[in-house]
Amino acid sequence: MLKNIQEWIILLSIFAVVSLAANWIGYDVMPLSALPGMLVLVVICLAGLIIQRALPYKIPSVAYIAIIGILASMPWMPGSSTVVAWTSEVQLLALTTPILAYAGIAIGRSWTDFVKLGWRTIVVAMFVLLGTFLGSALIAEVVLRFQGII
Amino acid sequence: MSQVHLGIWKDWRLHVIVFLIVVFAEFIGTHEFSVGPGVVLLLPMLYALLIGLGLYFTPAVKEKQSKNAEPLIVLGVTLLIAKIGVVIGPSLPQIIEAGPALLLQEFGNLGTILLALPLAVLLGLKRESIGMTHSVAREPNVGLIMDKYGFNSPEGRGVMAIYIFGTVFGAVFMGLIAGFLATLTPLHPLSFAMASGIGSGSMMAAASGSLIGSFPEFENDIIAFAGASNLLSLSTGLYMSMLIGLPLTEKMYQLMTRNKAGKGQS
Repeated sequence: MLKNIQEWIILLSIFAVVSLAANWIGYDVMPLSALPGMLVLVVICLAGLIIQRALPYKIPSVAYIAIIGILASMPWMPGSSTVVAWTSEVQLLALTTPILAYAGIAIGRSWTDFVKLGWRTIVVAMFVLLGTFLGSALIAEVVLRFQGII
Repeated sequence: MSQVHLGIWKDWRLHVIVFLIVVFAEFIGTHEFSVGPGVVLLLPMLYALLIGLGLYFTPAVKEKQSKNAEPLIVLGVTLLIAKIGVVIGPSLPQIIEAGPALLLQEFGNLGTILLALPLAVLLGLKRESIGMTHSVAREPNVGLIMDKYGFNSPEGRGVMAIYIFGTVFGAVFMGLIAGFLATLTPLHPLSFAMASGIGSGSMMAAASGSLIGSFPEFENDIIAFAGASNLLSLSTGLYMSMLIGLPLTEKMYQLMTRNKAGKGQS
């Protein structure tokens, strides 16, 4: 467990450094002003990962991490305004760039499988994603309009 | 993520390469171009994915880096989820208010059956089309099909094919179409934000990222709704396809192939 925690801290720190660079170059936020928010996010991740290991339930760690994030930033939680102010310096898109960079390197190995798929599969696959996306958006549109939210 | 792969942090080659990719991608920045009435947004994350993929075929990246990169995607997604969590928190009252829309749009995943299954059958695919179109074919859905039909079944091959496409190109595809459709159609960006949460962290990030790029005035609402919807999809997706998606696909497939056979005889 202790070894794992060390590993998580080092890896999350590497990730944080890369994201801070993306945040700086892409979104003009100086690394120093985004650092407190990044630390808050790393601590939330660590707490979620540790809780997931410590509890006997088979719930994915992202579920704990999301809940901790929500709890820490709810309006009626003391100190939440600081958490929100700090973390708002970390742009969502600055976090996604490193994720997709690692993903690109990882999926290189699936490339040969991809090449074998054939054009029919690729057409169907695009419609699978399109169908979900449009279907969900249409339903959301109808319900949100009905509720008068949009 | 509970099984940690010890020693990945020592793979400096990998981290330096990723750092350089990210710096380069962010330096190019966001570009957009119009196709008809819609706008296609090219975001740094899309270049990062494609550059990473390209580098795999150069001597810079070896098999080892590619293997080590995999658990790091998961770790990166945890950081992303933490960020989404702290955006959801302040918007909690709004999300509760929009709750019915969030819950009901989960049924939108069935849109994939209505749109893609007829197309698959039309293209001449057989029982593969059941595996291909019953859901968006993320990990839980692959598990469900393997469990029910077996790995070497046509259904199993179908679900794997879509899984591979989604893994390689899902994020790029969603990133490109999300902003485009949101600018092209009269639907509200928030409806598309909810639709972005299809149960895959990277696809959700790409789709909502494009939406933010196209509608920066809704940034926090987009993150909050897409994030909440994705969490909901992750927890209900398996049951959705098990109880509704897969039985519906089977029924529709039988109906469609029977009609086809009837026509062939006459």
